[in-house]
Amino acid sequence: MSVRRLDPHAERARRNRLHPRHHEFARPAWRWTSGDGVTRINPHALGAIGPNGIKRIDRSGASVEAAASAGPQASAEPSRRQVRLEAPQAYVAVVPELPEGRLSDHDRDLFGLARQLAEARGGAEAGVAVVAITFQTEVAGLEEAGADRRVDLSSRVEADSYAPEARLAALAAMEAALAPAHWIFADDFPGGGDLGRRLAARLALAGDAAARAATRVWQFADGQTLSRAGDRQDIQREVARVLLALPECAEPVSETLHAATLLDLDALDHELSASDERAAGVADLGRVAVDPQQIPLAQAPFILSAGRGVSDWDGYHHAARVLGASEGASRVAVDDGYMPRSRQVGATGTFVSASCYVAVGISGAVQHLQGITKCQRVVAINSDPSCDMVKRADFAIIGDGDAVLAAVCAQLGQPQPESGDSRHEEVRHDAA
Amino acid sequence: MTQPERSRNAAGEARVVALVSSGRHPVSGRAGRAREDARAVEMGLALAGASLHLAHAGDAEDAALPEYLGMFHGLDGAGGPGELSLLPMAAGDDAVPLLATWLEAYGANLVLTGQRAECGEGSGLLPYLLAERLGWAVATGVAAIEHCEGDRITVLQALPQGQRRRLEVRLPCLLCVDGVAPMPRQSAFGPSRRGRVEAVTNVTAEPDTLQAAWQWQPARARPKRLKVVKSTNARDRFKAAAAKSAASGGQVLTDLSSDEAAQKLIDYLRAEKVLPAVQPGEEGQPSA
Amino acid sequence: MLQTLLPILIFAALAVGAAGAVRRIRLWRQGRRTPMRWHRLVLMPKRYLNDLHHVVARDKAIAHTHVATAGGFVAAMALALVVHGFGWHNPILGGLLLAASLCMFIGALAVNRRRIDPPAKLSKGPWQRLSKSLLAYSVGMFLVSLPLVGVAPTLLGGGVLALILLALVAWGLAEMLIGMGWGGPMKHAFAGSFHLAFHRRPERFDDQHRDVAHDVHRGSRSTALFPLDLTAKTLGVEKPADFQWEQLLGFDACVQCGRCQSVCPAYAAGQPLNPKKLIQDMVVGMAGGSDARYAGSGYPGIEVGKHHGGPSDAIVPQLVEAQTLWACTTCRACVEECPMMIEHVDAIVDMRRFITLERGETPEKGAAAIDNLIATDNPGGLDNASRLDWAADLDIPRIQQRPEGVDVLLWLGDGAFDMRNQRTLRALVKILRAGGVDFAVLGDEERDSGDVARRLGDEATFQRLAERNIATLSRYRFQRIVTADPHSFHVLGREYGAFGGDYVVKHHSTFIAELFDAGRLSVKAAEPGETVTYHDPCYLGRYNGEFAAPRQVLAALGVEVAEMERSGYRSRCCGGGGGAALSDVPGKARIPDMRMEDVRETGATTVAVACPQCTAMLEGVVEPRPQVKDLAELVAAALVEPSAAPTARTSTEAPEEVPA
Repeated sequence: MSVRRLDPHAERARRNRLHPRHHEFARPAWRWTSGDGVTRINPHALGAIGPNGIKRIDRSGASVEAAASAGPQASAEPSRRQVRLEAPQAYVAVVPELPEGRLSDHDRDLFGLARQLAEARGGAEAGVAVVAITFQTEVAGLEEAGADRRVDLSSRVEADSYAPEARLAALAAMEAALAPAHWIFADDFPGGGDLGRRLAARLALAGDAAARAATRVWQFADGQTLSRAGDRQDIQREVARVLLALPECAEPVSETLHAATLLDLDALDHELSASDERAAGVADLGRVAVDPQQIPLAQAPFILSAGRGVSDWDGYHHAARVLGASEGASRVAVDDGYMPRSRQVGATGTFVSASCYVAVGISGAVQHLQGITKCQRVVAINSDPSCDMVKRADFAIIGDGDAVLAAVCAQLGQPQPESGDSRHEEVRHDAA
Repeated sequence: MTQPERSRNAAGEARVVALVSSGRHPVSGRAGRAREDARAVEMGLALAGASLHLAHAGDAEDAALPEYLGMFHGLDGAGGPGELSLLPMAAGDDAVPLLATWLEAYGANLVLTGQRAECGEGSGLLPYLLAERLGWAVATGVAAIEHCEGDRITVLQALPQGQRRRLEVRLPCLLCVDGVAPMPRQSAFGPSRRGRVEAVTNVTAEPDTLQAAWQWQPARARPKRLKVVKSTNARDRFKAAAAKSAASGGQVLTDLSSDEAAQKLIDYLRAEKVLPAVQPGEEGQPSA
Repeated sequence: MLQTLLPILIFAALAVGAAGAVRRIRLWRQGRRTPMRWHRLVLMPKRYLNDLHHVVARDKAIAHTHVATAGGFVAAMALALVVHGFGWHNPILGGLLLAASLCMFIGALAVNRRRIDPPAKLSKGPWQRLSKSLLAYSVGMFLVSLPLVGVAPTLLGGGVLALILLALVAWGLAEMLIGMGWGGPMKHAFAGSFHLAFHRRPERFDDQHRDVAHDVHRGSRSTALFPLDLTAKTLGVEKPADFQWEQLLGFDACVQCGRCQSVCPAYAAGQPLNPKKLIQDMVVGMAGGSDARYAGSGYPGIEVGKHHGGPSDAIVPQLVEAQTLWACTTCRACVEECPMMIEHVDAIVDMRRFITLERGETPEKGAAAIDNLIATDNPGGLDNASRLDWAADLDIPRIQQRPEGVDVLLWLGDGAFDMRNQRTLRALVKILRAGGVDFAVLGDEERDSGDVARRLGDEATFQRLAERNIATLSRYRFQRIVTADPHSFHVLGREYGAFGGDYVVKHHSTFIAELFDAGRLSVKAAEPGETVTYHDPCYLGRYNGEFAAPRQVLAALGVEVAEMERSGYRSRCCGGGGGAALSDVPGKARIPDMRMEDVRETGATTVAVACPQCTAMLEGVVEPRPQVKDLAELVAAALVEPSAAPTARTSTEAPEEVPA
């Protein structure tokens, strides 16, 4: 018989869930091997209080507290069901946006909608296939997204340039070859929203009155689609032949895996060569370099904003150039005349929607914070750790704004090297 | 934004028409200028001055019409009152044949309009249907007109996040003006009072048969997508459900030297893909 | 020789001057005509001696100088006409003439002393010459009149000395009589007296009111803007000839004393506005020509001499830059100070009306505010139904539920959308409840009063809002309207009358003072040691003459009030009126910062305000600075609760933070 010894520290830590070493002692306590060799489980010691205040017991083996590392995807992945479709009888065509050559979340939603429509027409049993029509060769993830077939039109239309008419001709040829039951586009200008409307107009004028697109479709239910109209109205209608769908129009495919077999263009080609030769009305002359300072503040993707905590304004402007950020300002900086009024961020200035907003030396007046509610990421550089901007920020650095900006410039190098400028910043740095 | 060059051709050859529709204020729902259409009118006024002609298919009593006419000020030359051709039709009628007929009769070769109307179906299909019917070119997302010369017009197309693409469009064409185009000028009471609305009488509208089958309903708020974790494993589902609460509150870094802080900031911006990733050559550069 | 030449000189000068005067009158009558009421000329002496002197006498030295000089001149001129002109050589009259000339001489000396090193607000050029001319006239007239009383009769009869004397008198007569008609500095006397007679706002001179306490403040007797006929051919003033002729006459009466310039907040802030220069530019426009001959301070940041105009030429931008007009806060400090009773604000709003209604060139944010007013009935573009959201927990009675009527209709104003002002409104509701006042609100039926739209020149939107508000108000029964917003107070009380809305409107300071008087509020004694100063809102003070009630309220609270140097009718604007906060014309300083400096000079730790706009502007001043508290907040914080009132917060609590 061994004597059961109690460690009072361990006991106290075990009882006190707030004790810093609680986990160390608490974890083994719910399961132990008793003296006679039987595994004992104490159900009361098990589990943790969830965010909704209800106690959850995790029986998967790992304790909740120790969970942080493993991603949820890992175990979910292999469970997808393989769907094969041999001889498609009908098609639902999806033309994904593919920004930067990858499927976006919006694209996955489109495939989700396509699958719903295909299921509504009988699904795989009835031979309804979802076909992805892309203007790019290598698109990863079409299988997971839910495409049974795919068509690669990159040999017909240049992928990179904007040639809506050539794309339209190619799609019109696909219409002739496959006659999809539905066409699904992303309702997004100037991408799928443009192309889809062109196709819809082409089909509608060719005599298919029902081809007039349903735009801004956001739900498919009970065999009908809901599309958002003007003036706070929704239109419920039969599923149109051409659908231009909003993001989150349907849940993306998550349970099945599809073949995404490449359809041979040449086999379909009896119509393709005969596409009508209209003179190109729209020619792409290429991207225009946009100076970050010229982008209206409300649209700028990346803003470096300065407030009262900035005193080295040359350094700040320089940092904005180095980072390639648009300049913004707090009201105080504008009032003090360091920045023009058009650059003022906040409820009394401009509401901004930058994906990244860096606030240097801005304490975060209510009006200012109201102006940046739409920003996805807020970075604060401020010497006062208790200010509201730091509380709002996703990432905050406590320190002198001028010095940090100078150091950033020094580390990133300088787009337009000016020797005098950098020395000046060094001096400031030392002083700070 | 670049001011369009008003070459002689622009004024001489192009007959510029702006198609306007009745807008709805996003808060009060009151009728007024539509956001994008007003920008189209602004673009037309900058290009063609007072010779810009407006057209509207719909109700003559619409409160938005005087507001568009009120934009005819500050123009060179006589700066006469604005003119608007009204093609009378009811709400359920099809505007496309009406406008197509009128545009051909008027001899327009450059038509500016917004991408999407703010009331009615608001599908944004009209310019495309018109273009298809008339055999015109159509360009969307127009943020600015750079210049107009001969039968070509060069425009800037708006891309997401303030980026631009230059397009050359053949006349006759329809340009759909994006909401990021230059702000429309103020609608002034005086010019709006003087503007002329002329009803076009020799056209008859036909009802839009397709619309009759639709059910209209007040817009519902779109359900917010829940983060659903499809997993056979209760543990994963639970963790996904519980994960949200853990990720609140920002990261606060204190007591760093400026260089360390700068490095952390750069790393963060790179991780968030705001700054381009490190170039191979840049890696070993000593920090100053 | 003198006896033959003097009458010729006098009558020639009179004739030439009269010809000039006729031409001058023609210039005035280029403006839009109104029926000529000649009988009003008889009002002139009273208005001059009483009302004008009342303003001039704010500076005693100048008043005495002017009385001596002008009185001396008028008497000397009249007597000279009789004595020298008609040749009635009466020694008594001669003696009187000598006395008048002497009097004028003494006045002229004082004028000259002031002109040795003139303050910056004064114009130079011909005005410097005028001081010498006054001397010349008085000395000349004195000496030529000496023989009448038998002194030095022979010496002056002929020869070189007589010629010199004649030249002196001729100089004086040319300046005084010919200059008066032909646009010299003395024009102010001629145009001024006509201007007083035909003033567009006769109410300003009307103190015949039955109630003795009525309008103790003369400047606030008539402050409502004139309605604009929206069916007129052109709306507002494009060219000088579009002004009403009385307005042109008023501009011509300017003496360029620069009092307006020294009180103008926009001028002090280095914004491109100088009321004096503006009025002179209007004169240039009326008479045609360039502003190069203007000899005073110009618009800050704009060079003098580059602008020109004519009666039928557009004013903006050839004569006046649009920025100049948009810099005005409509605070009426210039009108208040003007000894000639010129109406600067009317002129500015008239010109703004043209810019907004015809040209559509309202400054960007102002245009946005107007668009919002058209679309949503409030300048912020917010949902009007959310006007009462801040009061969700206060359970404020709606007037719609009180068909039998209430005593007080509480007009919230657009401050109801502003988080800062909502604290004031909560405090006010607490006070009304503590005072047992029977009150209700309009809720989402209330619209913006139209103040901003009107001051920005959009009369069309103002009239639409006014008509709708009047229609709304006509559906409900109430005794009076109480509002915490002096702009709404002014517009509802003073400007709606022209559109058929006559209401008893009280500012909350007046109403709270009445509650104190009636003993319906009990407050605890103020903590000693804290000094408070009070900032008079323009639209409450100068516009409506309410200076006493706010101070009465502060006295009732028992706090010590340290008055600012510029307070009462001379209060300096916060910079937020007249849409100036929207047009946001750049200058060297910010007006609220200057006002806060005034506050700091008193050593006060708190500045009491009575206007949401002032609160917003003064709180916009960077801290550390004295606290800004509305009167209602101060009273609410000191209230001794008679009963458990609902959850009205005390002002000591921190403002709620908005979750980011």
